[in-house]
Amino acid sequence: MNSLLYDTYTIFWRELKRYRKSRSGVLIRLIQPAIWIIVIGNTFSGTQPLIQSVGFEGQYIEFMAPGVIILTAIFTSIFGGVNTLWDRRYGFMNKALTSPISRSSIALGKMSAISLISALQASLILGIALAIGVNFPNPLMIAPIMAIVILFSLGFSGISVIVAATAKSQETFWGVINFLGMPLFMLSPALFPLELLPDWLATIAKFNPVTYTVLLVREMMTGVTEGGISALLSIGIILAFVLVMIGLASYVFTREVNKPF
Amino acid sequence: MYSVETRSLSKSFGTVNAVNDVSFTVKAGEIFGFLGPNGAGKSTTIMILTTLLKPTSGHALVSGYDVMTHPKQVRQSIGYVQQESTVDEYLTGRENLLLQARLNHIPKDQIKKKIDDILELIELSDKQNDPVITYSGGMRKRLDIAGGLLHQPKVLFLDEPTVGLDIQTRRKIWEYIKKIHKEFQMTIFLTTHYMEEADQLCDRIGIIDNGKIQVIDTPENMKNAMGNEIISLTFENENSEDFLSQLSQIDLIKKINKDNDKFTLFVSSGTEVIPKIFQISVALGIKITSISLTRPTLDDVFISYTGREIRDDDTGFNRKREHAKMKRLRA
Repeated sequence: MNSLLYDTYTIFWRELKRYRKSRSGVLIRLIQPAIWIIVIGNTFSGTQPLIQSVGFEGQYIEFMAPGVIILTAIFTSIFGGVNTLWDRRYGFMNKALTSPISRSSIALGKMSAISLISALQASLILGIALAIGVNFPNPLMIAPIMAIVILFSLGFSGISVIVAATAKSQETFWGVINFLGMPLFMLSPALFPLELLPDWLATIAKFNPVTYTVLLVREMMTGVTEGGISALLSIGIILAFVLVMIGLASYVFTREVNKPF
Repeated sequence: MYSVETRSLSKSFGTVNAVNDVSFTVKAGEIFGFLGPNGAGKSTTIMILTTLLKPTSGHALVSGYDVMTHPKQVRQSIGYVQQESTVDEYLTGRENLLLQARLNHIPKDQIKKKIDDILELIELSDKQNDPVITYSGGMRKRLDIAGGLLHQPKVLFLDEPTVGLDIQTRRKIWEYIKKIHKEFQMTIFLTTHYMEEADQLCDRIGIIDNGKIQVIDTPENMKNAMGNEIISLTFENENSEDFLSQLSQIDLIKKINKDNDKFTLFVSSGTEVIPKIFQISVALGIKITSISLTRPTLDDVFISYTGREIRDDDTGFNRKREHAKMKRLRA
């Protein structure tokens, strides 16, 4: 156990070092969510009555800002595993695989690094949201919000690591990731309340961990509980999702890297 | 106990037998060279020995541990320096070694000293805090090798350690390899395409082709077995069968390689054989167009065991590796 933590930290350290050296990418990756929040947030400001009809008293942009924070987390973490493919191609993976560290710790180290990076990106989007005037009554909630984003991203980075370990090429990876990312975002109350979705879509959304994360973060930012889903239930579901992803990612990663690349 | 031991080791990818019933041993402290053309099975063997691939059948033991049943113990005993440079370009030299130290569970209190020592050994102390992206190919390779031996493994695997380096750097790397071998006394298992490299470094050499070991011996013995001298001759191509059969009756000729209108004769006394060749050719009316007499090199040994000089990579596995290499070179 001790050595699993140490090895996970080793990989985590390496991933963060690499990230630190590729800072130019940080801003580029912020452009898309910034456009979401600025363009969509303002374009749909006329939908305020719709939002109010489900009990949300505020600007549309305040409703959707938490959604865009989660959007940032989704995409940062689901793209994050792609360097697994590079590592396998350029030999770092073989170096790690022929050292005494366990295979699981490679997957977990990558996931924890991705989730921290994801939280950093999300916090920048939160900053943008505040800068353009999103009302945030309780700044003390920033820490727990970031904790939820880290947790959520840990689960989502598991998806990325699984796809990267299974895919043999960049093309496959991006194909699958794009197939997964956008629907998971859209099938959640990130942009519109669940109540406004057709029943069948709302039912599907209830199986989506993104849904609970958005509801939870929005509750933390605005204090509004939607759809009768309590914060405790959301936290429970997010935790369960993360635990399942940790287990699944370790298992799939270990199985896949033992095959020739 | 042997450092590396394989017994009837086989690995097939689909219908291709990349490694076919290979048995050999490497003694502790030895530098063992593993030679073979592209696609011969070198990389596959090294990947089995470093626990990256599971053999289809047979056994492989490294430092006394079976790669199948005790992979963790094997990994604790080995260092593996891959053909491709695997150092992280965005990290500094020192950070790369720190990563390597942690991957190999070097106790915390020893890490600093070990890194300092190894940086000195490979003469990179003054560049240790520069990002690797600023390093030359030779410096990267030295850093790669340093990473492989930082934890002082019992067996060090070097896969094509000097491929893609200029001749000065190559010689320098050879010096480092000799130096580290002298200093740490570990077993070194190296693969190479370069006969000169094998000749310079290795105590013993195994030549593998088509997934099978063709010969294992010291470089000296191999060259001696070829006869003392080599005669190459070309002729106008008529009656080459008769020519060949008559030549092979000369006692002093140990071996003949035939390639269309070119014969390569491995002989023990060239000056005595040449007049005999002319006698035969005159009798058969064959016109010799050129003839030369040389001392054998390991290249000749290699060619005599592996035949044709250029090899198509016929396993998909090797194609992928080559593909990766080309991509890296283009990057």
